[in-house]
Amino acid sequence: MDISSAVIDSLHPLEIKVLTTLGARQSETVLDSEQLAAAAELEPSQFSMAVEWLLAKGLITIQAETVTPVVSLTKVGEEYYQGAAPIERVLSAARDAAGTGKRLTIPDLQSHDGLDPSDVSKAVGRLKKEGVLLIVQGGCIETTGRPSPTVEAIRLLLQQLHDSSCELAKFSDEHRRVIEDYAVKRGNAKEPFRVDERVTRAFRLSPSGAVAAARLMKQGVAEEVSQVTPELLKDGSWRHKRFRKYTISLRAPRVGTGKKHPYREFLDTVKTKLVSMGFQEMRGPLVETEFWNMDALFMPQFHPARDIHDVYFVKQPTHASVIDESVLAHVAQVHQHGAATGSTGWGYSFDIQRAKRLVLRSQGTAVSARTLAASPSIPGKYFSIARCFRYDQVDATHATDFFQVEGIVLGDDINFRTLLGLLNLFAREVAQAKEVKFLPAYFPFTEPSVELHVRHPRLGWMELGGAGLFRPEVTLPLGVTVPVIAWGLGLDRMAMVALGIHDIRELFTDNLELIRTTRGSF
Amino acid sequence: MPTITIYKDDFESLLNGGSSENRTIPIEELETLLMLVKGELKGHTPETGELRIELQDSNRPDLWCCEGIARQIRIKQQGQLSPYPFLSGKSKSRMQIIVKPGMEQVRPYVAACAARGYRVTTEGLAQLIQTQEKLAEIFGHKRKTVSIGIYQLLKIKFPVSYELVKPEEARFTPLGMETVMTLAEILMVHPKGLEYGAIVSGAGWVPLLRDAAGQPLSFPPIINSREVGEVQVGDDQLFVEVTGTDLCMVVLTLNIFASNLADRGAIIEPVEVQYPMDTSLGKRVKTPQDLGKSKAIRIDTIEQALGQELGAKTVAQALKTYGYHVAPGKGSVKVKLPLYRQDLMHTMDVVEDVAMSLGYAEFTPVMPAQFTVGGLSDIEQTSDRARELMVGLGFQEIISNILGSPESYSSRMRLDETEWGRMVEVDNVMSLSFSCLRQWILPSLLRVEAASSRAFYPHRLFEAGDVAIPDATHELGSRTDTVLGAMIAHAGAHFSEIHSCLDVLFYYLGKEYSLETIQHPSFLEGRAGQIVVAGKPVGVIGELHPEVLERWQIAMPVVAFDVNLSQLMS
Repeated sequence: MDISSAVIDSLHPLEIKVLTTLGARQSETVLDSEQLAAAAELEPSQFSMAVEWLLAKGLITIQAETVTPVVSLTKVGEEYYQGAAPIERVLSAARDAAGTGKRLTIPDLQSHDGLDPSDVSKAVGRLKKEGVLLIVQGGCIETTGRPSPTVEAIRLLLQQLHDSSCELAKFSDEHRRVIEDYAVKRGNAKEPFRVDERVTRAFRLSPSGAVAAARLMKQGVAEEVSQVTPELLKDGSWRHKRFRKYTISLRAPRVGTGKKHPYREFLDTVKTKLVSMGFQEMRGPLVETEFWNMDALFMPQFHPARDIHDVYFVKQPTHASVIDESVLAHVAQVHQHGAATGSTGWGYSFDIQRAKRLVLRSQGTAVSARTLAASPSIPGKYFSIARCFRYDQVDATHATDFFQVEGIVLGDDINFRTLLGLLNLFAREVAQAKEVKFLPAYFPFTEPSVELHVRHPRLGWMELGGAGLFRPEVTLPLGVTVPVIAWGLGLDRMAMVALGIHDIRELFTDNLELIRTTRGSF
Repeated sequence: MPTITIYKDDFESLLNGGSSENRTIPIEELETLLMLVKGELKGHTPETGELRIELQDSNRPDLWCCEGIARQIRIKQQGQLSPYPFLSGKSKSRMQIIVKPGMEQVRPYVAACAARGYRVTTEGLAQLIQTQEKLAEIFGHKRKTVSIGIYQLLKIKFPVSYELVKPEEARFTPLGMETVMTLAEILMVHPKGLEYGAIVSGAGWVPLLRDAAGQPLSFPPIINSREVGEVQVGDDQLFVEVTGTDLCMVVLTLNIFASNLADRGAIIEPVEVQYPMDTSLGKRVKTPQDLGKSKAIRIDTIEQALGQELGAKTVAQALKTYGYHVAPGKGSVKVKLPLYRQDLMHTMDVVEDVAMSLGYAEFTPVMPAQFTVGGLSDIEQTSDRARELMVGLGFQEIISNILGSPESYSSRMRLDETEWGRMVEVDNVMSLSFSCLRQWILPSLLRVEAASSRAFYPHRLFEAGDVAIPDATHELGSRTDTVLGAMIAHAGAHFSEIHSCLDVLFYYLGKEYSLETIQHPSFLEGRAGQIVVAGKPVGVIGELHPEVLERWQIAMPVVAFDVNLSQLMS
């Protein structure tokens, strides 16, 4: 018979026990469940598992199935055993009545505690038939003094079957009749006895099972183990062991892992790209003065975007203790009348207290302004990935707390065309886009200003960022005399596509399962 | 950045300068044309011809209307701006506005003109109203610096007076109401009075425009009289008035309205405003008035900024076709803005107009060639190294809002009224959920733990990010530090487990540390330590207090540390 050694090698120890137990006997031996389990020294649950597996693999067959009626007590029967069956109670009530000379009618019996009217009728009928009771005139019940075989049989059976079952065939004909009369049947569940059919199966080896058993018994000298252990390795005893083969197609159990956050990972790739293009990172504070956040960027103090409804103001302290006096004075003059920048200025009186007002940084350009004032390298390229705060209702497309990727490029070769060249580079490196469009744009601090639109490989045309040449009103008072590009990239939409999310709030989600399973494709 | 609605037919008719044959412009072409005005098409309803356009330039209020957009494009197509006849000194002003003394304390300036001969159409009226609203709201800072009124000219007897009155003393039926009301009642009852009343109601006296017959025209900047100030389709004699606090902005706004109505075929008649005091434009100010000043600009400055040789002729042509008045000179060009613009502050403003007029596509991008060295800041490098180690230790990185609630950052951590619970708080709170900056990282991690009890355990989480720590010695009142927080949660989470992780982290960051017992309300007493490096505290570690966990509704023990990387490396 053909049986692959893979099947034999992957048998479970329980299966092997059953197979070898059968194999150890003469061929074509048939053992029933009880015998086989006992011979294989297996618990009932282990045995039934092993048998099911072996049957499924076709290594054993069922030779015969024997059906045996077995009697046991029902819950009602256990109650009768503890107390008394209705028929016993009816008989003793009738005997009590005879003793005291009281009249007893069927309605009297039916009103007895816990006695069911139908049980009473059945009991009276049976006892009358046996000649134990008589119904006399007026429906009164009288005893004849004869013993009742049924009552005696029921009491005997209740005692015998209490806590154990017994094959029906082992009872006398008379008892079998009583059992059948008082057994649970369809439509009458309230009886003391139950007759069940017990199925006993007898097994033998199938032809392939015989081959397997023979093979197993031949190699049986090596003990099978499931695990390589340090002890086995230490004393070399692994040489005498067989290692059970696993079913490796099963799903792997889940394992927890350390991992970067997918959004942070996305920002890391942007960071790496910017550094590779020669950009130096700059950082700035979360709490800023209006001065660096806006004044230094030539946004007039009456600018609508500086309204209480556009920026978060800090409660305590409300103002910075100090801002570099000379920078402050230069910027104030430029706002007022342009000073030496060649500008007309905004023509209003600059409020120095207002400049010191503390706000939550609302744009990454504040970091660029600080860098300009801190003697930057020329030529120089700088970037920051800065957390900014916007006074906005939060929804699927607006976050109050977000990253801005921004920076500057300084140098005497900087002009409108090199600005476009830089944007081309961003389009290619950051968005893998080959097609770009430059649209005129407006930012309060740049002139000329450009919006960069790119054809993203997956998203189609999208706005990737904005840029421009810093106005001289921004650079000159901060001490920078070369032209400066200011640029910013809007990457959240790209990030959301890369992470497969549709709601900007999910970038900062609190759902650990989501964070663990999100796999970015950058 | 206003978004406006215009009608395509109306726009096309304005683009053709009133000629009877209107060319229909395909939408794709329109989108290209809008580049001339920094406009973006946001929506198009073909059935009604409605176009929604966002205008980006907050210094070009003349472009926030159908007429202005059409004008800028028309000039490009026609090669120059045709001069407006009402600017020539010859046109007499038969109408006057007399400004009474005292106005300088409340709302000093007014400008006005009449427009005859343009019969108002449905689209034209919609544009008049929209322009009035957008200019007053955005350019006029919610009517504070500038507001506009439009009237039926024939109902007005000149001269008009602009004066201060007691709010109880003048009365008229305002637009939107059925009955006569005093100005005081308007301030208290009328929706516009409630919305804008604060602009003028502080002084006890309020401004009023009244004609020679004593009839009120308007209570600027609140509301017009319904009798005089309700313009309807079919009217062809209009009076436009602008009041405000900045004379240049007031005149510019009137210039824009005059240009718009002239573009629609109206004949503009100037009005003379007589002030009791001297203004920057004199005592008698005729409006509209061209306030533009000539400015000489060197060609090489423009070429340098654009990175391209253009020549004086090209530059002059580009500016002329963008509406400038241009007089070429030697190596330079003398330019003046048209009357509806006042945004020339610096030569760079002209540079951008040259580039826009020529089209950005005309400029070939050039790569910046100068060599620079890239790199990360010290703290970012430290933070990256720490993140790498935490991942190696089997921790999942988290990223969170920095702006949050005192409840999360302090109350649930049992830190209220303690030194650890001090935070940078927002003054103008919109929502309590976003009202302070985090001062440490652990609450950001507990936020995730509290929401993720069904994610399989153990949970090992970390975040490295910025926090704001109040610091009176700092000029900003707080420091921004980079902090690393980490936590472990599972049924057997234990101090030594997180301690081991801290140990590995500090070993590889090259820092010797010791733990000193600390009483910290967020942690169980006797199971909390201050992390000390070179005698300086740099963080805390411990088992989270059960009450903290209960307040977060976390039903799993949590151990954690919080290390200030900025302090550690300083």
